[in-house]
Amino acid sequence: MKRTSAVQAKLDSAAGGRILVFAQILVLIAFLLGLGFILRTTGGTLFLAASLAPALAVIALVLTAGLLVNKYRRRHSLFFKEEYASGETVFRKGDSSECAYFIVSGKAEVVREENGKETVIATLSEGEYFGEMALLSDRPRNATVRAKTTLTTEVVGKENFLAMMRAVRSTRDDVAETVKQRLAQVAEKGSSR
Amino acid sequence: MAMTLMTVLAYAQDATFQRDPVERLTSEILVLLILVGIAVVLYSLIRYRGRTERASSWAFLLLGVGILPIVTGMVGTVLVFERAEHVEFCMSCHLTMQPYVDDLKNSQSSSLAAIHYKNRYIPADQCYQCHTSYGMHGTAEAKMAGIIDTFKYYTRTYKLPITMRQPYKNEDCLKCHAASEKWLGLHGDFKESVFSDDMKCMDCHGQDHPAHTFPRQQARYEKN
Repeated sequence: MKRTSAVQAKLDSAAGGRILVFAQILVLIAFLLGLGFILRTTGGTLFLAASLAPALAVIALVLTAGLLVNKYRRRHSLFFKEEYASGETVFRKGDSSECAYFIVSGKAEVVREENGKETVIATLSEGEYFGEMALLSDRPRNATVRAKTTLTTEVVGKENFLAMMRAVRSTRDDVAETVKQRLAQVAEKGSSR
Repeated sequence: MAMTLMTVLAYAQDATFQRDPVERLTSEILVLLILVGIAVVLYSLIRYRGRTERASSWAFLLLGVGILPIVTGMVGTVLVFERAEHVEFCMSCHLTMQPYVDDLKNSQSSSLAAIHYKNRYIPADQCYQCHTSYGMHGTAEAKMAGIIDTFKYYTRTYKLPITMRQPYKNEDCLKCHAASEKWLGLHGDFKESVFSDDMKCMDCHGQDHPAHTFPRQQARYEKN
């Protein structure tokens, strides 16, 4: 995925999760080094507790703070561009929802996986949007979206998307109608199997 | 159960480290903080596994990665400062400090260190008391020097024989001896010279009555 905005760096939810796990493991090691110092106070344990432990804790704090800032900026972003290569995943089912995507060019497919089988439930093209349902329901993503071709999107953060919905009635009506159609589409696909 | 565990962990060290009530209390608080920190981080790892959909997941992250490590670090600094004053701590860098501590504890030695130790002229933390200047600045200086020495030891970047960074200052003797009647009686003729720094304590006590003596040990450690 090519980042075209230097300010808003995308970090997918899975990678962000791994970074947070790594940060917490670093903090665990730092705590254990501190405990080692208390149990056996020598120059060696002091050396580790005074040098390695703070370094690990600072790295963990920086990583976590960086992710928090990234998340916050993403939620408050307003139309920054993101591009995806063909086959690249935009977001996965279960990811946290921070923004909606407006397709500028290319195609995206909405995929659901059930019982190990993947089903394409919709293909979206230029002028359409996706990712709004999770923002409205305040729940994790309920499907995976992948770029079917090279995909260019404009991304709106959750806070700005919801503000737009509140302020512009026509947008609210349009989104509500789209959500209704998509839910009906999903229900139809589900019952036809 | 938690209190028992905490007390056991805090007291796991040699009993001589636990004399000071400040140190004892700090150890127990630190153990508690660390155990709580470990519990919070483990819970966050197991429950959320890096996911952040809920506000509670961020609350645990803030606590486990932010607040608790910072507070633990601050309390830990107090404990480090307390424990780094003990003779046993100095001795843990045994390749360089063992001969000094051996001499200190040698009742047959006539060095100043041994005399002060065996008569308990300095009741505790004998290395620290002599090698720290007066006041907060002296304490900060000693701590900084100690940290640097610890790093040098464990990175094996120290040089033998061990030498003082600067000549031993009169004020480090006088902070205890200046008001002593016994000292004034013995040094009366030239005490003004000592007070004004015209004459150094080590002019006499460097050779004839040295601070430390360790002829055989020094040879061994220099070889190492």
